[in-house]
Amino acid sequence: MPDQAATPGRPGVIHDLGYRHFEGVREGTATIARTLFVTGLRHAYGLGRSGKSKVMPFVLLAMSLLPAAIVVGVVVLTGLGSLPVSYADYTNQTQLLVSLFAASQAPVLFSRDLRHRSIVLYLARPLSSPVFALMRWLSLTVAMFVFTAVPTVLLFAGAMLAGLDKSDQTSAVLKALTLQVLLAAMLAGVSGLISSVSLRRGFAVVGSVMALIVLTGVVTVMQNIAYYDGDSESVSVGVGLLSPWSLHNGLGNAWDAGIDTPAPVDGAWVPAYAIVALLLVAGCLLGLVARFRKVASR
Amino acid sequence: MTVVTGELTGPLPVISTAGLTKHYGTVHALTDLTVDVGDGVTGLVGANGAGKSTLIKILLGLLEPTAGHAHVLGHDIEEHSQEIRRLVGYMPEHDCLPPDVSASDFVVHMARMSGLGASAARERAADVLRHVGLDEERYRPMGGYSTGMKQRAKLAQALAHDPRLVFLDEPTNGLDPAARTDMLRLVQRIGNDFGIAVLVTSHLLGELEQVSDHVIVLDGGHLLRSSATGEFLERTGSLLVEVVGTETERDRLGEALARHGLTCRPRGTMVAVDPPPPGLAEGGAAHDLIRDVAAELGLGLMRLQPDRRHLEDVFLEGGTRA
Repeated sequence: MPDQAATPGRPGVIHDLGYRHFEGVREGTATIARTLFVTGLRHAYGLGRSGKSKVMPFVLLAMSLLPAAIVVGVVVLTGLGSLPVSYADYTNQTQLLVSLFAASQAPVLFSRDLRHRSIVLYLARPLSSPVFALMRWLSLTVAMFVFTAVPTVLLFAGAMLAGLDKSDQTSAVLKALTLQVLLAAMLAGVSGLISSVSLRRGFAVVGSVMALIVLTGVVTVMQNIAYYDGDSESVSVGVGLLSPWSLHNGLGNAWDAGIDTPAPVDGAWVPAYAIVALLLVAGCLLGLVARFRKVASR
Repeated sequence: MTVVTGELTGPLPVISTAGLTKHYGTVHALTDLTVDVGDGVTGLVGANGAGKSTLIKILLGLLEPTAGHAHVLGHDIEEHSQEIRRLVGYMPEHDCLPPDVSASDFVVHMARMSGLGASAARERAADVLRHVGLDEERYRPMGGYSTGMKQRAKLAQALAHDPRLVFLDEPTNGLDPAARTDMLRLVQRIGNDFGIAVLVTSHLLGELEQVSDHVIVLDGGHLLRSSATGEFLERTGSLLVEVVGTETERDRLGEALARHGLTCRPRGTMVAVDPPPPGLAEGGAAHDLIRDVAAELGLGLMRLQPDRRHLEDVFLEGGTRA
């Protein structure tokens, strides 16, 4: 070991071309956070990643657009007086695709950095772990929102082309988009939290599918049983507090956005639904921040 | 106890800690560490679990100390850890590279995460990847890299934003001897030519004595010693002598030197001569004697050099002291 200095400059291994210091501008935390957000949003759709990783998000998006395109074609060609499906209900009808998008893309944003431990490299940089977690969640939320909003906007464009009443359609589409923001925040929170805990992609996807698809199915069945067999409206509505989709649908029903629920959501249930939805988002965010903070200190 | 290492160019040391302590329950990872680090390359040496990585994580603000204070580049670690993380680079000990991304894309992204604009980040990434010696393979996904290439990519991301200080945690881990030499030379260049202060850890003492200007020795979370590398190595007055030939020649020389009053013992192909007695210590008298003896015996003198101590000795001393 002492005479390693006796083998100077093995050729072609480390080049000595002089080191240049960086004298330019260093951006502030806000700009770094924005860069992280934009990168995350692109990665959720496989942009800036391998060709293979673009397949899943875009196939799902195409599948969720296809019915909307057909609806638009029918409405424009036949001159129907209204859309056969409301904007908000369209999102609900395609919920399997929306949930699959969340389940498949959340691991990209929440598991990879933890599994490969590149999270340490992020956290050794200016962004703190809460800001990092928040930006990741925001990326997925916006990606989810885009996923649901694109078919909605397509439907709206079709309605306008078919000459349907502009003010009615505008207010309905705005209601649907508002509900979609809340839905996206909830789905991103739930699937993100699950992905940040179960680091293997397979487990994360299965966990999200359980939480978003299976749980929603169970809740819907229980709502129907309680309403039709148990004859209890309040139990039916109360059970709806248990899944993001039934929260979305319940709020859509209460807001007259064109979604049917087994029992109508009204009265004190409306603020309860809104509060539970917001608490769910807040809880997931706190969980994410705690998770990233813990990983950072290891 | 305050020990200062390094050529303190400014009024402030690069890193200074005061009574830094970190306990995990009953595990004492760091205990009352007070040390200053200057420019150049500083080696942080200790066995696994001596507290090296804990110290780095505290300095980065990723861990909160149980007690004590520290400043990095003049910023308090508790109040301005964000400002510190803007100015330092960190190469962790463990694997931290996503396998499906190319080194080029990854280093660009990491430079942007440190606040560089898009075009500046691309330029810097190309620069540092060249400096660490990743050529064509920088465009391939990092999952297919050898350990040596991974270590280079990790180093590149630590340098991407032109930090003023880098923490390199075990950069030679898992490397073969040739790659190890390359990496150590690179570490030395970062500290000396690039003008970036380096705190490099290793559990291999021999490595650090080659590249660092200063060495801090941790043992079980305690500071064992902190001083310039030279001081570790230059306290022995022993000489090493090597002559042309085999062990027979070596032994003939040793016996002859012993007859002249020098204490000798064989070490490998060489003769180690203990510090000469007072009569021969003055003005290189011992050197002259060895030359003359070799000439008398008709042996070709190949090497006559001062015997450097090794950092290991510090541990042995520390062990006996404790």
